[in-house]
Amino acid sequence: MRGQVIVDQERCKECSLCITACPHDVLRISAAINSKGYHPVEAYQPENCTGCTFCATICPDVALTIMRKRPERK
Amino acid sequence: MARMLMRGNEALAEAAIRAGCKAFFGYPITPQNEIPGYMAEHLPLRGGVFLQAESEVAAINMVYGAAGAGARVMTSSSSPGISLKQEGISYIAAGELPCVIVNVMRCGPGLGGIHPSQGDYFQAVKGGGHGDYRLIVLAPGSVQEMADLTMLAFELADKWRNPVMILADGTLGQMMEPVEFSAETKSEPVEKPWATTGAVNRKPNVINTLDIVPESLERVNHRLLAKYERIKEEEVRWQAVGVKDADLILVGYGTSARVARSAMEQARRDGLKVGLFRPISLFPFPEKQIRELAKAERQFLVVEMSGGQMVEDVRLAVDGRSPVHFTNRLGGMVPTPEEVLEKVESILEGRGN
Repeated sequence: MRGQVIVDQERCKECSLCITACPHDVLRISAAINSKGYHPVEAYQPENCTGCTFCATICPDVALTIMRKRPERK
Repeated sequence: MARMLMRGNEALAEAAIRAGCKAFFGYPITPQNEIPGYMAEHLPLRGGVFLQAESEVAAINMVYGAAGAGARVMTSSSSPGISLKQEGISYIAAGELPCVIVNVMRCGPGLGGIHPSQGDYFQAVKGGGHGDYRLIVLAPGSVQEMADLTMLAFELADKWRNPVMILADGTLGQMMEPVEFSAETKSEPVEKPWATTGAVNRKPNVINTLDIVPESLERVNHRLLAKYERIKEEEVRWQAVGVKDADLILVGYGTSARVARSAMEQARRDGLKVGLFRPISLFPFPEKQIRELAKAERQFLVVEMSGGQMVEDVRLAVDGRSPVHFTNRLGGMVPTPEEVLEKVESILEGRGN
């Protein structure tokens, strides 16, 4: 796991663009329900995340934040 | 003002404020919550009134009151909420009061779901409430049009003294696109000598929809019908792309038209002569314009997110001159350009439906 996806559940409108954009099948629609009634996305295979930020870039609602693991210094 | 990235619902709300909307009454429902949200934040700061009513019925009756007092007023809701407003809408149409009603359609029937649909076409264009009345119905196809048609809606409402409905859907309400507010100028305030503004130095104005003398009410009905006929003459709006040489014309409005447009462009790249006709005003429906395009060697394919509603008006317009086919998705599903293209190919190859 080189990256970590953090979902702002209240901002997500379940449009699924991030699921399409992710090259590593990290995301899916969750069973949770936000206050508008949408099912926000979740990282169901977080270990696949490379931190490429494709999902956050395509998200029209700025609902996704990506944390990257700092490379270890030698 | 520069181009901004805005959500459809927010662009619509901003446009309403710029068009001089002074009062907004609503009740929350997904997928239109950003409209009251934006209004709550911005309208009071810009000299207007925002009020979250106790119900949709209350909200539409507040609109009735504010419109009667001559204010530019708007309400918004989504399908089940619009059903609740129908009694008030009929009253407002009967009282000949200008207002704007926004329906960001979701899927039904019943409570249905919160995903986009176009199942309220009949309700919007055929009356919806009781009695013989019509709304002017405008169907935006982009976030820019969510703004532009809202500004137009306020003008048409005042011009015709008639409620105007913006018929959008969940996709248009929720999606974000660049939008530009062209005119910084507000639209001109309109003189409303009929409004109930306090009868100082004049006879009282009365707004009333009760008329129990049949001879009298018939005259009112005829006057309203004559107005709707004039609206049909003057306010038809549409967009036609690549229809001149088309063997097949796709017909759709709102989100369906966007899908159809993508299918059309791919079909053209594949060498198929396909055009797109997009009604922008659903009432008045561009009947003549469609009839003029109808001929024996041409076919129509109507794309909708409903069980088949606008297709009936297309069939009436075509009047048997061309075959009219239909394709759709329901329940909050949106058709894909690929699905529409496949249908186009099967029709043009003579595989029928």
